[in-house]
Amino acid sequence: MKWTPQDIETYLNAKEYVDTAVIPLFSVSMGDDMKQSAAALEFINLLTGYLERQFTGRLILFPPFTYLNSKNEEVILSDLKDWEASLVKEEIHHIFYITSDIDWRDREKDLNGTLIWLPAIPLEHMNDSQKVAIIDSQVKQLLGLFTQKWHESE
Amino acid sequence: MSKQRVSRRQFLSYTLTGVGGFMAAGMLMPMVRFAVDPVLKADEGGDFIATKQKVADITDEPVRVDFTFKQKDAWYESEVTNTAWVYKDDAGKIVALSPTCKHLGCTVNWNTDKEHPGQFFCPCHYGRYEKNGQNIAGTPPLAPLDVYPFKEKDGFLYLGKAKPRKEA
Repeated sequence: MKWTPQDIETYLNAKEYVDTAVIPLFSVSMGDDMKQSAAALEFINLLTGYLERQFTGRLILFPPFTYLNSKNEEVILSDLKDWEASLVKEEIHHIFYITSDIDWRDREKDLNGTLIWLPAIPLEHMNDSQKVAIIDSQVKQLLGLFTQKWHESE
Repeated sequence: MSKQRVSRRQFLSYTLTGVGGFMAAGMLMPMVRFAVDPVLKADEGGDFIATKQKVADITDEPVRVDFTFKQKDAWYESEVTNTAWVYKDDAGKIVALSPTCKHLGCTVNWNTDKEHPGQFFCPCHYGRYEKNGQNIAGTPPLAPLDVYPFKEKDGFLYLGKAKPRKEA
């Protein structure tokens, strides 16, 4: 389910079936890294969108958790932990973070959710069918991870 | 100068009729247009979208067929890729099923559940469908998979808008 009024209404009516959240993590940088940051956003957006289509009925795709790259790491982490805490309160037990920001690899141990780090593939010069093929193959590899996590908890 | 002089009265009545005629037409035209609008509107279910699937290549094993079309969401136009599961049934008739699970809308896959081969399987809540799209009782989905209307043109498969079907 996406973060739209219709989908959220479906969620509210079928809460017992939805136990997974996908939260994209975006770092916003200024200056030299700006373009890289934009490329990462495009990639992660397409990827999470496609992932949502595969698992519409069991997960909610949250609006991205966005932070300024230069911000204090402790603050970013504690903000995200607040999200985590409120999700668990809503009976959402599986949390997946999807990001291209490598800094999260060091913070992963402090998070309860599963971190999926993917290097951003620059999509700007590709045509649509190439994009779809790449995203499709990436998502296929992630599907297994999701179903595995769900199986573990049963 | 012509011999027949136009009198002031005649000139005024000609111009007034002319201007009045334009004004009446200006008012009537939109009214007529609105009145016949439903007739002119294209049938929404009538759009068939080309796929890359050759009709001759379709076998009795369901294959994934992707097709792309433009969708307008408010003022934002985007390309949407839809998928269909296409195969020939026992009678040799083409069947194109929508992959959207009737439970909560996940994407179902063919033959991915090892315990139940030869079925469509939804990984979200383990919903299952027979090959013909009929939902299997005891699993979460409550309706059979939607069916795409299809057409054959120049050997390629064209798909329309998925329609829910009646309980078989």
